[in-house]
Amino acid sequence: MQLIEKLSVLADAAKYDVSCASSGAPKRSSKGRSGLGATDGMGICHSFTPDGRCVALLKILLTNFCLYDCQYCVNRRSSDVPRARFTPEEVVTLTLDFYRRNCISGLFLSSGIIRSADYTMEQLNRVAKLLREEHEFRGYIHLKTIPDADPQLIAEAGRYADRLSVNIELPTEASLIRLAPEKQVVTIKQAMHAIHEGETEAKAEKRAPRFAPAGQSTQMIVGADATDDSTILHTAQSLYGDFRLRRVYYSAFSPIPHSPKTVPFEAPPLLREHRLYQADFLMRSYGFKAGELLTGPGNLPLDIDPKLAWALSNREHFPVDLNSAEPALIARIPGIGILSAKRLVALRRQKRIRFEDLTRLRCSLEKAKPFVITQDYRPSLAYRESSALRRQLSEGPVQMGLW
Amino acid sequence: MLQVRFDGRFDGWREAARDLLHRGIAPHHVEWLAGDEAGGLFGGHVEPESIEPSSPVRIPRQLLAELETAARFRTADRWSLLYRILWRVAKGDQTARLVGDVDGSELHARIKTIRRETHHLHAFLRFSPITCPSGPDYAAWFEPAHDILTSAAPHFAERMGLHSWLIATPDDAVLWDGDVMHYANPCPAIWRQLAQTAQESGAELWKTYYESTFNPARLNRDVLQNNLPVRFWKNLPEGPLIPQLMSRARAGAQRDGQAERVATRPGKRIERPGQA
Repeated sequence: MQLIEKLSVLADAAKYDVSCASSGAPKRSSKGRSGLGATDGMGICHSFTPDGRCVALLKILLTNFCLYDCQYCVNRRSSDVPRARFTPEEVVTLTLDFYRRNCISGLFLSSGIIRSADYTMEQLNRVAKLLREEHEFRGYIHLKTIPDADPQLIAEAGRYADRLSVNIELPTEASLIRLAPEKQVVTIKQAMHAIHEGETEAKAEKRAPRFAPAGQSTQMIVGADATDDSTILHTAQSLYGDFRLRRVYYSAFSPIPHSPKTVPFEAPPLLREHRLYQADFLMRSYGFKAGELLTGPGNLPLDIDPKLAWALSNREHFPVDLNSAEPALIARIPGIGILSAKRLVALRRQKRIRFEDLTRLRCSLEKAKPFVITQDYRPSLAYRESSALRRQLSEGPVQMGLW
Repeated sequence: MLQVRFDGRFDGWREAARDLLHRGIAPHHVEWLAGDEAGGLFGGHVEPESIEPSSPVRIPRQLLAELETAARFRTADRWSLLYRILWRVAKGDQTARLVGDVDGSELHARIKTIRRETHHLHAFLRFSPITCPSGPDYAAWFEPAHDILTSAAPHFAERMGLHSWLIATPDDAVLWDGDVMHYANPCPAIWRQLAQTAQESGAELWKTYYESTFNPARLNRDVLQNNLPVRFWKNLPEGPLIPQLMSRARAGAQRDGQAERVATRPGKRIERPGQA
């Protein structure tokens, strides 16, 4: 098979994993040196596909041959898809060519499970080793870790890669047993633990070789089973806590050709995925707990964002006086982000905050209005019922897509 | 109105501004003329009365960096905004620098635009290999909306190791010879030609990757256009594919995620391990 044909099969096979970040790597430079590549901690999206996804890395599978039969996966062994396999050298050539053209910031390599978990992991490591040692490549490398692989191999992967990830795929053990019979929560968590240990050790000792300096991430598929958002967010919260994950990615289940009957045959719930990302961001950056965003079982509302939903069900904290409130509480006001909250605090050292200041900071005035007090403004809406406010602030009905 | 003519660069402006500040000339008395720009009708006749000649003022280094970044923003009043802010800060009004202020908000909006455009150049510029033996190894053509080339180009010296490369724009150009950065304004015709002709070569593999990594079941035009503005499409090898992929996705391939060129190939099931 020609390289270009392999590329089309193995890029297609990898696109269902939505993560593509290239951030968090330590600073590296090739200025005036042989080799290629730089990182500075900031991710660069080199292109965007018509599905709105960022292209930062060459994201491909080494092969889509796979012994596993995960029901949601297009590459499961019972799936009737064209199969292909790159040689490690081919992946290296593609990565370097795209990198020189400035199409990518690095490589995100994953693979179907062939022969054994160890063999598969060895092959992934071999690509990374070739890039780093033979070609002195200093760009970003993200390796997908095979959970059942020998810890020695995971340790080796951590020396070459900036980021490692193990996909948990489904948020509960029951779903995993039903939909991914060969995968086990235990081994997935063991692999996450091994990576976390590696990171901790490398950080503890100054001269220790680097170990996955951009940390680890994981992915959960949303909508392939009946799990609700509350379970998903609580799972994410415990992963952040237990293994210090940098990111949890939420991937709306995408219908695949010849779908088995065990998974839904429906268009992906993209808005649900979007709300989960918003909630996840609130947990990582604003200090919200999963239990605050969803107090019981169930899903996040689709018509309003999770921060507004929280504010509407916690009206006793509002309205907040921007001239005196704690910065953390200001950041919890709908329509005012962390950066604006910081800027408001800096500004109020110079003068009293007036409502028009929010306009200049480009806050979302519609959303913020009922929740703030400024020098010259008190909300008349403050005593209106939450349900009425919600009707006014919701994003309105959306026409369902036809397909 | 006092017409101040300078070379159109930040350092030139800074010299002139320092002098004006020292003479105590208020911003509303000054008309800035960069290069050979023609001045306004009432310009230049009267030397404005200086308000109060002041002793040398100290300007925070951070503010100078902010002003320099904002100066890259292409707009008619770029130099007068900078002088107004400088004037206010020199007179002790620190709010002029803050986002909550009328001038400060404009300053920060411009800085933000410049950062975004720099990011666009780092992201959407495409190098093509050059076969001509006397030319650099790689060349790229890029059309930035602001004057960001000199501050944005060093990024590629870090990325490209010992390769030499050239970036040409409709206005200026830089050549990195592997050691030193050469700047040219205006862009020499030969560089322009080199960059524009190189752009068409050999991106087949990249286009194939782009096509295959798109999931038609998740078509989302708004997010695409917010992040990859249409003005960049024409100079990207994948640009012409975008409308094609979108219309194909709408015409039915949206049912599932697989690309046509994969779906039409013969498939293969894998035997259960131990059963082969």
